[in-house]
Amino acid sequence: MRALLLEVFGWLGYLERPTVLVQLLVVAGLVLAARAVRRRRLFPRLPRQAVTPIALSLLLACALSLSAAGLPYAFAGQLGVIWLGWYGLNLLRGGLLRWLPEERVHQLESRLLRPTYLVIAALLLISTVDSLRDLAVAPLGELFGVAISAGKLFQALVVIYLVLVGCGPPAAGLAWVLQGAVGMSEGSRKAMELMLRYAVVGLGLVAVAVQLGLNTTALIAVAGGLSVGLGFGIKEVFSNFVSGLWLLFEGSVRPGEVLMLDGDPCEVRKLGLRATLLWRDRDNAELLVPNQTFFTEAATTYTASDRLRRSQVNVGAAYHHDPAEVIALLEATACQVPRVLHEPAPKALLVSYGDFAINYVLRFWIANPLDNGGISSEVNQAIWHAFRAHNIEIPFPQQVEYSMVGPPEQHQSNRFQR
Amino acid sequence: MMGALISAMAPLPAPRQRPRRRRGLLLAAVSCLGLAGCNGRFELPYVLYLAIGTNNDQAIDAELMEETQGRLGVLELGYRQIHPESQFQFGLYPEAIISNALKRRNRAGLGPDLIFVNGDTALRMLASGVVNPFPATATQLNQFDPDDLDRIRNSRGQLAGLPTVLHTQVACFNRNRLPNPPTTVTELLAASASGHPVGLTVEPYGLFWTLGSLGALAGIEQAVAGQQPSAANTQRIEAWLAWLQNASTQQRVTFFSDQQSALSEFMAGRLDWIPCNSISLPRLRKKLGPNLGVSPLPSGADGSPPSPAKRIRVLALGSSSSAAGRARAINFANFSVNPLMQRSVTIGAQTVLPANRFVKVPVQSSTVLAALNQANQQSDRLSLIVKQIHYDDPRIAKSQALITELVFGEVSPRSSAQALIKMLRTKP
Repeated sequence: MRALLLEVFGWLGYLERPTVLVQLLVVAGLVLAARAVRRRRLFPRLPRQAVTPIALSLLLACALSLSAAGLPYAFAGQLGVIWLGWYGLNLLRGGLLRWLPEERVHQLESRLLRPTYLVIAALLLISTVDSLRDLAVAPLGELFGVAISAGKLFQALVVIYLVLVGCGPPAAGLAWVLQGAVGMSEGSRKAMELMLRYAVVGLGLVAVAVQLGLNTTALIAVAGGLSVGLGFGIKEVFSNFVSGLWLLFEGSVRPGEVLMLDGDPCEVRKLGLRATLLWRDRDNAELLVPNQTFFTEAATTYTASDRLRRSQVNVGAAYHHDPAEVIALLEATACQVPRVLHEPAPKALLVSYGDFAINYVLRFWIANPLDNGGISSEVNQAIWHAFRAHNIEIPFPQQVEYSMVGPPEQHQSNRFQR
Repeated sequence: MMGALISAMAPLPAPRQRPRRRRGLLLAAVSCLGLAGCNGRFELPYVLYLAIGTNNDQAIDAELMEETQGRLGVLELGYRQIHPESQFQFGLYPEAIISNALKRRNRAGLGPDLIFVNGDTALRMLASGVVNPFPATATQLNQFDPDDLDRIRNSRGQLAGLPTVLHTQVACFNRNRLPNPPTTVTELLAASASGHPVGLTVEPYGLFWTLGSLGALAGIEQAVAGQQPSAANTQRIEAWLAWLQNASTQQRVTFFSDQQSALSEFMAGRLDWIPCNSISLPRLRKKLGPNLGVSPLPSGADGSPPSPAKRIRVLALGSSSSAAGRARAINFANFSVNPLMQRSVTIGAQTVLPANRFVKVPVQSSTVLAALNQANQQSDRLSLIVKQIHYDDPRIAKSQALITELVFGEVSPRSSAQALIKMLRTKP
C-alpha cells in the first residue's frame, strides 16, 4: 500500500515540466472560466447551455495550437475529452428521460453511468502517467494468506459493484419471462426477482472470492468466526435476513401482498434484507417492520390464495319492517354498488334484536382488499338511499315508558302494533 | 484540481452550498501543503521516471516487479548517496508495445526520463522520435565494446542509448534430474533419448545458438547479407534444419511456440533442459533453488562452439523531460555504467554482464558468471546476423512460421532451406 501511495505521490514530479503545467493551466483556466460564466451570468445574453460547448471548442483550439507549435498537447486533449464525455452524460440524461421514468434515469445515472465514466476516465489518466500493468500488480498486502494486488482488488470491487448494481434488470427480465412461462402471480414474480438477485449477488461474491484466490478453508474459518459473531453481536440482523429469505420462499410476505397490521390493511412494498416496507392506505404512511415480526408473530393476509376480501356493514331497521323485505333490499342494494362483486353474491343476515332496532349485517365481496374502506362507505350510502326509497326506517335509539299495573299478576306487556 | 474540474463539470447549480464547498477546497489545499512538509514550502519531488521494457519471456507480475525493484535498488541506493533528494519511479512495458505506449505519453508531455530497453528497440524508438540521441563523449564511449556500440547506432551515427548491461543465452538444467549437462548437441539428443525431457522453441532467436554448433552460421550470414550461400553452406543449412526436424521427432524433445511456455514447463518440473535467457535466471532460481544448473550451450559434435544471442540493454533518453529531468537522467545513466556499479550489478544479480568492457567478470568465483561470460564471447559469432536482422524484423516472424512447419514435418529440410535462404535474402 505504501508503495502504491508513493507511486501516486511521485506523479507530482511531472509538474516540474513546463509543458505539463501549460496544459494543466489551460484546462483549469477554461474550466473555472466556464463555471464563473455559468454561475455568475457574466454574459447574460449567452445561453447557459452554450457555455460548456464554447469552452470545449476553446480547449480544442488551444490543444491544436500547442500541437502546431510542436509542444505536447495530448494531456490537455485527454482532459478535454473527459470534460466532453461528462457534458455528454448530461445530454444523455435528457434523452433517457424521454424513454424512462425519472427515478429510473436517476438510478441508472448515479449508480452506473457516472461511476463507470469516472473509473474509465481515471484509468485513462493513470495510463498516461504510468504503466497500468505494473500498477495492477503492486502488492497491497495479504488476506488469509493470499497476496492481494491493486489490480486484483480493483477488479474485485468492480465486479462486486457491477453485480450489486447491475443484477437488477437481468433478474427482473428473467422473472418476467418465468412469469409468462409458468403463469405465476405478480407477487410471485417480485419474489422470484428478489431471490434471483440474492442468488446472483451470492454467486458473485463467491466468484470474486475464488478469483482472488481465497482458499475454501479460510472462507470456512471466516464462516465459523461469523457464526459466533452471529450468536452474540449481530443476531438480530441475521435473524431478520434469514426471516426475509424464508418469507420469500414461503410466499406469505411478498411485494404486492396485503397484510393486516394493527387493524389496518397494508400493502407490502419491498422485502428488504433487514425489514419489510409496508404502505398503509389510511394515512399514506410507509412502515418499516423487521422481517422477524412476520416470522414469529401471527399475521392476517388477504392475498395468500386470492385477493378477494369479504367485507361487511352493519345496519339496523325498525321493528315494524318485515325482515325478509329488509334482507332482500340489502342484498339488491349491495349488488348495485359498482365495486361490489356479484359473485360470490352479497348476503344479508338478521343477526340480533336490539333495543330499538333489528340488527342486520350485509356481507359482500370485493376484489381489492385495500379498497374496503371506500367500498363500505359506498355500500352504506346506497343502503341509506335504498331505505329512504322504500320507507324503511333506521330508528333512533328509543325507549318506551309505561306504567306498571299492580298487582303484578294483572300486568300485561305492550302489544305489538303495526 | 480534479475536484474543481469535476465540480465545474457538474450541471446543477448549488449556490447555497458554495461557502461549504469553498471551505472544503481550502481544507484540501491546506492538507496538501501540510503533507508537503511542516516548513510550509511545497517542493515537488525530484523524480526520475523510468520505463523498463520486458522481453517476451517475461510476464509482468508481482514477481517481476519485485525482481526489477531489487535490481534497480542496487543502483538507486548508490545514486541516492550522491543525490539524496532523488526518487525513482519505474513502469514496466512489454517491448512489443513500449514504443507506442511511450509515444502516447510523450504526446501528453508525460513520458519517462529514461527508458531501459534492448538496443534494437531503442534504435527503433530513436527512429520514431520516442527517444532522443544519447549525448556521450568519446571518452565515455571508450568504456564500451565498439561492436556493441555499432549495434545501437543509427545510420547518422547517433547513439540510441547508453549500453548498460548484457543478457546472454545459456543452458538451464535441473541438477536434480540431470547432474551433468550435455556439452554437445549429440549429447543433448542422447540425454533426451535416455529419458530427460528437453525443451526448445521455434523462435529463431531462441534457436540461433544451434547455427554455430551445427555449422550453418556462415550460410545464414551470407543469406542475411543478401548473397546466395555457397553450395557447401547451403548443405550446412539443410543439415541444420534436418537436425531440428530430427530433434522434433524425438519423444522427449518438445518445440514450444515461445520461450515463456518453455520456461513455465521447466519451472513446473516437466523439462530437464532448456536454453534460457540470463534475464530469466532470478525467477528460475526462486523456483528451483539449488537444483538450477546453468551451463554454456552445447557445441557441435565436431567441437564448433554455439552462437548464442546476446542482448544489449541500454538506457535511452525520453523526449519529454524537463531540463532538470534530462540532467538527472544523463547523470544516472553515466552513474550506472561506472565500473563500481557495473561490478555490483554483475556480482549481485548474477544475471547480467557488464556493458563496461573494463569491468572484469569474476568467472572463477561463480560458475553462472563463467557460463554467462563464455556465452558472451560466443555471441560475437552471431553479431553479423544480429546487426542485419533485429527482433522485430518481419523475416524473423516468417522464419518462425517456416521452422514451425519444419518441426511438424510439413516441409522437408531441403525445401525449407531454399525457402529460408530466399526469405532471408529479401530485405523488407
